[in-house]
Amino acid sequence: MFELLDREILGIITLTLRMTLLSTVISTILGVPLGLWLDHAQFRGKHIVVLINRTLMASPPVVIGLVVYLLLMRNGPFGFMGLLFTLEAMIIAQVLLLTPIICGIVYTASERNSSHIRTFAKTMGASKFQTQVLLIKELSNEIYFSIITGFGRAMSEVGAIMIVGGNIRHHTRVMTTTISLLRNRGEINQAIFLGIILMLIAFAVQLIAGFLRKRERRINENF
Amino acid sequence: MKISNLKKNYEKFSLNIDSLSIDEGKIYGIIGPNGCGKTTAMKLIAGIEKPDSGQIDYEGLTERDMTMVLRKPYLLNDTVIRNLVYPLKLRNIKPDDGLVNHFLEITGLTNLRDEYAHGLSGGEQQKLALARALIFSPKVIFIDEGFSNMDIESVAFFENYILEMQSKKPMTWVIISHQLSNIRRLCEHVFFMHNGEVRASGSTGSLLSDPRDEKLKQYLQYA
Amino acid sequence: MKRNFASILAVFLILSITLAFTVGCDDSNETGTIVLATTTSTYDSRLLDFLLPVFTEETGWDVQVISVGTGAAMQLGRDGEADVLLVHAREAEDQFVADGYAERRYDVMYNDFVIVGPYHGAISHNDDIEQTFRDILDQELLFISRGDDSGTHMRELQIWDALGLTPEGNPNYLESGQGMGATLGMAAEMNAFTLSDRATWLAYPNVMDLIIVCEGNPRLLNPYGLLVVSTTLEPTGAQAFVDWMISPATQALIATFGVEDFGQPLFFPEA
Repeated sequence: MFELLDREILGIITLTLRMTLLSTVISTILGVPLGLWLDHAQFRGKHIVVLINRTLMASPPVVIGLVVYLLLMRNGPFGFMGLLFTLEAMIIAQVLLLTPIICGIVYTASERNSSHIRTFAKTMGASKFQTQVLLIKELSNEIYFSIITGFGRAMSEVGAIMIVGGNIRHHTRVMTTTISLLRNRGEINQAIFLGIILMLIAFAVQLIAGFLRKRERRINENF
Repeated sequence: MKISNLKKNYEKFSLNIDSLSIDEGKIYGIIGPNGCGKTTAMKLIAGIEKPDSGQIDYEGLTERDMTMVLRKPYLLNDTVIRNLVYPLKLRNIKPDDGLVNHFLEITGLTNLRDEYAHGLSGGEQQKLALARALIFSPKVIFIDEGFSNMDIESVAFFENYILEMQSKKPMTWVIISHQLSNIRRLCEHVFFMHNGEVRASGSTGSLLSDPRDEKLKQYLQYA
Repeated sequence: MKRNFASILAVFLILSITLAFTVGCDDSNETGTIVLATTTSTYDSRLLDFLLPVFTEETGWDVQVISVGTGAAMQLGRDGEADVLLVHAREAEDQFVADGYAERRYDVMYNDFVIVGPYHGAISHNDDIEQTFRDILDQELLFISRGDDSGTHMRELQIWDALGLTPEGNPNYLESGQGMGATLGMAAEMNAFTLSDRATWLAYPNVMDLIIVCEGNPRLLNPYGLLVVSTTLEPTGAQAFVDWMISPATQALIATFGVEDFGQPLFFPEA
């Protein structure tokens, strides 16, 4: 069983981490401001936008995968970019899956608390920029939670990346698609073994994230 | 500060303040039954909410010169000390140790300085909010029921403290309180509000001892 | 009036429930459900959609299909999760029998493999499998292997092996690890070559950009076998399925499948 921990598996793990981290970072950069903006902005049809966001939070990965596939295929609108069956394609699909989740969680948290925070910022005479900083700081627990949720989704996802990545060995094969392949081959033991490694990695990432968060707080202590 | 023809309409309530003036260096009180518009009026005057129409002439005061202690104080999801120095941070003022220690002392929070503010009792939270408003020496301070959760001894202490401050370095104070003893001890001038309007105003002594307005008479009956 | 209607409704409801139960009970006394683990090609080509309703109608047995690679199908048999296997990997099937997991192997049908590739590709239509595989390697043409231990994958490896070639490590040799249909789709998108069974190739849409570059070589023959798993809990049903599949009537049916849509049969009877 341990011959599995060879260079190929290490490559798969590295690729999985690269894909997951990049997807999460991009989705955070898009989703957090979008969630905050959605809460603050007042416009007609806002409730419909919120409804769409809620729906996208539950969008089936396979459907997102198919949509991205159709967009990126050679005869599709973005076919000229030659992105299908690449890491980039997998990240695009994951960003489409993750951003609504992060946006939705941030929006919900912001909707509950932001008016209090904004009022308080005004009583303190904070500038617009200072108010934004304060909002992000005060909502940091929820933002952290949204990122962790998105990360978990990126790590566990298989349907969309199988379609747009193609599960090509040494190129776009990540841990979940490998597990799926092993199951198809009937190699259940190895599939479970990889599954456990995946869980351990997820656990380690949570530990590191938790540690960094504590450290960040401690550094800030010295006002 | 001169206020004229201030209007704000809500679904079930509307606020109309024809004319009102607040002079520098004096302590004002606002009294009136629940739901009469005291808090709304204060937020409008303090510039935290925008009126539908009307003018406020701040006579050179800016947002940064004023502050308001909210009825439900908003405390940062952070330590006592970092809540206390937050307005200084916003103004890029390096906190002076002596000043910080002074405010920790008068609020009785010296030993709790590194505790999370959300763990404080209601009275302690009000003291912290008051200290946080005072620490940057604003020119105008609005207090919305800022003593309601404090014990009798603390209330008396802060009444004395405010009067002492006022004799050394006068500021403009506007205080909403349901405790008439507060108003009597602190305020030179009182506005009585009823149903979204200022029904009566005058020097504290004459207004409270010789009420002419029927509604004010009723209100004082139970006080 | 209202009450009358309600009681009629209640009687009707009770009657229909009773009826449903009686029918259900009668049914389960004689027949039931068997699990068929099969290679993806019989399922993706819709052969089973075509055959199974007839089988169920004639015999009363229901069939649940698990469509996986041949390797996985045989693992399901070894684990006792399937009653009958319909697979295509002759050597592995013989081993399965030798290991005692099935009493014997039944010939049922065959078709052939084809090598498909881009229309304007470097290889023109031929029947020389050896030359085709060599050209693919030498000219560093993109080739997508199933890489999933399926019957098709095993055959592909056998061919490389028999030719003394090693494609592994070649940068243009990719492994999809997915089913035949998905792999054909990828080959069409990437202008790549791949080995496919003819049935899936003919039945799979959206691969217009590909053509057959090599076919008709003896090495490309693709026989399908039926195996009754020894540990089956439904030996009657499993054997009934095998007997039905190799019966002259069904064999004739198999020979007609696909003729209407593709102008040629997808499988040829062999029993």
